[in-house]
Amino acid sequence: MISYKILKKVSKPGRYIGGEYGQILKDKKDIKARWAFCFPDTYEIGMSNLGMRILYGSLNSYPDIWCERCYTPWEDMQKEMKENNIPLYALESGDPLDNFDFVAFTLQYELCYTNVLTMLDLAGIPLMSADRDESCPIIIGGGPCAYNAEPVADFFDVFSIGEGEEALPEVTRLYIEMKDAGTYTREAFLHEAAKLEGFYVPSLYTVTYNEDGSISEYTPKYDDIPTKIKKRIIEDMDKAFFPEKVVMPYIETVHDRIMLEVCRGCYRGCRFCQAGNLFRPVRRKSVEVLNQQAKTLYENCGYDEMSLTSLSISDYPYLEELCDTLLCWTEDKKVSMSLPSLRIDSFSKELMDRISSVRSSGLTFAPEAGTRRLRDVINKGVCEEDLMNAATIAFGGGKSLVKLYFMLGLPTETNEDLEGIATMAEHVLDAYYQNPDRKKGSKPPQVTISVASFIPKPFTAFQWEPQADLETLLEKQQYLGSCITNRKIKYNWHEAKVSRLEAVFARGDRRLSKAILEAHKQGMMFDSWDEYFNYEKWMEVFASVDIDPSFYANRRFGDDEVLPWDIIDIGVTKSFLLREKKAAYEERPTPNCVEKCSGCGANKLGGENSCCPKI
Amino acid sequence: MLSQNITQQVLHPNSHEDMCEQTSRNIVLPKPVRIKFEKMNVLKFISHLDVTRTMKTALTRAGIPVWYTEGFNPHPKMIFSLPLSIGTESVCEYLDIKITEPMSHEEIKTRLGAALTSDMAVTEVYSPKMKFQDIAYALYEVTPYEPYDLSVLDAEKVMVKKHSKKGEIEIDLKERIKSIEIKDGKIMIFGRADQLNYLNPEQVMALTGCTDHRIIRKEIYNERMQIFR
Ligand code: SF4
Repeated sequence: MISYKILKKVSKPGRYIGGEYGQILKDKKDIKARWAFCFPDTYEIGMSNLGMRILYGSLNSYPDIWCERCYTPWEDMQKEMKENNIPLYALESGDPLDNFDFVAFTLQYELCYTNVLTMLDLAGIPLMSADRDESCPIIIGGGPCAYNAEPVADFFDVFSIGEGEEALPEVTRLYIEMKDAGTYTREAFLHEAAKLEGFYVPSLYTVTYNEDGSISEYTPKYDDIPTKIKKRIIEDMDKAFFPEKVVMPYIETVHDRIMLEVCRGCYRGCRFCQAGNLFRPVRRKSVEVLNQQAKTLYENCGYDEMSLTSLSISDYPYLEELCDTLLCWTEDKKVSMSLPSLRIDSFSKELMDRISSVRSSGLTFAPEAGTRRLRDVINKGVCEEDLMNAATIAFGGGKSLVKLYFMLGLPTETNEDLEGIATMAEHVLDAYYQNPDRKKGSKPPQVTISVASFIPKPFTAFQWEPQADLETLLEKQQYLGSCITNRKIKYNWHEAKVSRLEAVFARGDRRLSKAILEAHKQGMMFDSWDEYFNYEKWMEVFASVDIDPSFYANRRFGDDEVLPWDIIDIGVTKSFLLREKKAAYEERPTPNCVEKCSGCGANKLGGENSCCPKI
Repeated sequence: MLSQNITQQVLHPNSHEDMCEQTSRNIVLPKPVRIKFEKMNVLKFISHLDVTRTMKTALTRAGIPVWYTEGFNPHPKMIFSLPLSIGTESVCEYLDIKITEPMSHEEIKTRLGAALTSDMAVTEVYSPKMKFQDIAYALYEVTPYEPYDLSVLDAEKVMVKKHSKKGEIEIDLKERIKSIEIKDGKIMIFGRADQLNYLNPEQVMALTGCTDHRIIRKEIYNERMQIFR
């Protein structure tokens, strides 16, 4: 274990001590495969990740597998570790990462890539997959960014594509069997792993490029591995592995609360939204199972806050019933409940009353675009009346803070659409003053407009679209600012430079690995943190390795171009996405999956308790 | 609240010590319970706030019928003794709660113990005998891992700087040290520990030139040097 002398010198030492209630310890002599599950960001962020909680539990449910946790140490700690020759260690055993069989990274956002290298480096593990020998652990990646992991493909031995609670134990079983049979070599194992459904071994596919820089083709090195890697899903969420215990952090983390996963996927088909497609088909849990799981979590964690999670919670068909069932005991136990991501078109007075029965200060809505026309383009099927209704109900219920989320730089956007954002906020304010039910003497209303820049993401209808260049994005931000004149409207925007870098990595290919490696060599890390993000330095890095970031961020990709992520099959087909793109330009909305199936292709993956037509 | 409860006991002499007292109108009165626990090993790196949060969830996990404050934002009523500075371990931390339903001290100890790690072991549960305001002294055991020199403490006054609400002030450490002795290679520091004068043993050790050490708070006492109960 790390010496106290070092811990005394660093900020927030509680990040590095492990030993929490609920952590899983095992006897090494019973273990055949050890996992170090890494979240490439700080402890506080990683500990709040639901996916990691699930996979930690799932792997540890096998007696011969032991999964431990590891997070990126803050820079002061990294310095101490280097000076004192302490390799990066997992929290449970304190053993260095290179002692493990698998070192896994969950890739939740693009800007964590330099942290992956930081962690491998601290662990003394060769950064490039090609440089690793038989003594090295298998480096495996997963999470949403693994669906286009090409920019980090050179650093990983294998990626798990899709939901991992069954897949990861399966690949571990393969590893154990090969070790037991004496047939294990890295090469043999990776070849076998590539045959399992949902595993992508990038080194087994050669990529060739056209003269214009676009991809010519992906060629598998063996005949017996798939040409397209199909994502894994859990068919029946009611029967999916559920972590009954949670590691309880001593120090404060981002989400110190029960996270109850209600469903996976989303019925809506917002054309910019990646998660909506990645997690198709929608699969939901039943009210009885959810209630049971919520109780178990409450008893085992003791948190007094519970949030129901799902991409679009208000689309859960039994939401009223679920709330009723949960509130029956949560009110009594003084557990507060929160429902994130409420959609404004499904917002009812009844739901509102329920939320106000627990703590809640304000409401958030995401109209995403300022005019009806643009909302039709992006297929955000909400209209202004819905928003006004919701706002009126909210104000009547004593709320005074409304937060509106928008996206800027969407395909076909004009100044009129930006003006529409300001107008919308004005109308919400008007609704407050016109509301006869509003509580007299309550706090003055405040509407916050929060604006992010559009990022074209793989596996969306807009995956071919260019991102507006930096100058245009900044102009748009400014123009919107000039449209907002009311002091009761607050205006926040995301740093456009961050969005641009995200766009580069989101649609990147394997050639970006050299840029990430170079950035790491220059000491870059924690790019998602304001205090570390350095756009200019990134531009220098790209220039130094001869990469043009606009090729990835600001180029219109061709409809028949081979995309870096074409190697992955998420169920939703390319032809569906092309149809959706066409509909976008025709300003034609597509009905949601409950109203009518639009044949996206995700139903071929199966899935219980979903609205997809069975094949 | 403590005194109220004592009155209640006098009024109802028959009530069992470990049971909630009930008035004739059948209203359950919350009953005070003192929990003695440890904060050992790596837990020296977590703050007082972290301990509070941990205890709060642990009480729920343990299913202890804790009394909640009334009001808009009800939360379990928890009062801790003497906060511990980060870096110091302790075998004598105290938490006062009230319970609203009968539960024996032994059961609270077992249940709460199971809801915490061994570094935060629950060592005793009983009805409070003294008040937290009675705490006057604390005893610390220091294991030095590097040479130290106690002679700096021979001076009549040992002035050190201290951050306070009024900015930086100078205090005389000597006023806060009751005694220092060496026992089996360990330095036993006896110091003031009331709300106004609190001796931080870490500060004493820094003066002796030893910063690599282990400090454990062993016991706390009242003004008459009785072990705190
Ligand atoms: S198959 Fe049909 S119903 Fe299922 S997700 Fe795709 S479009 Fe929606």
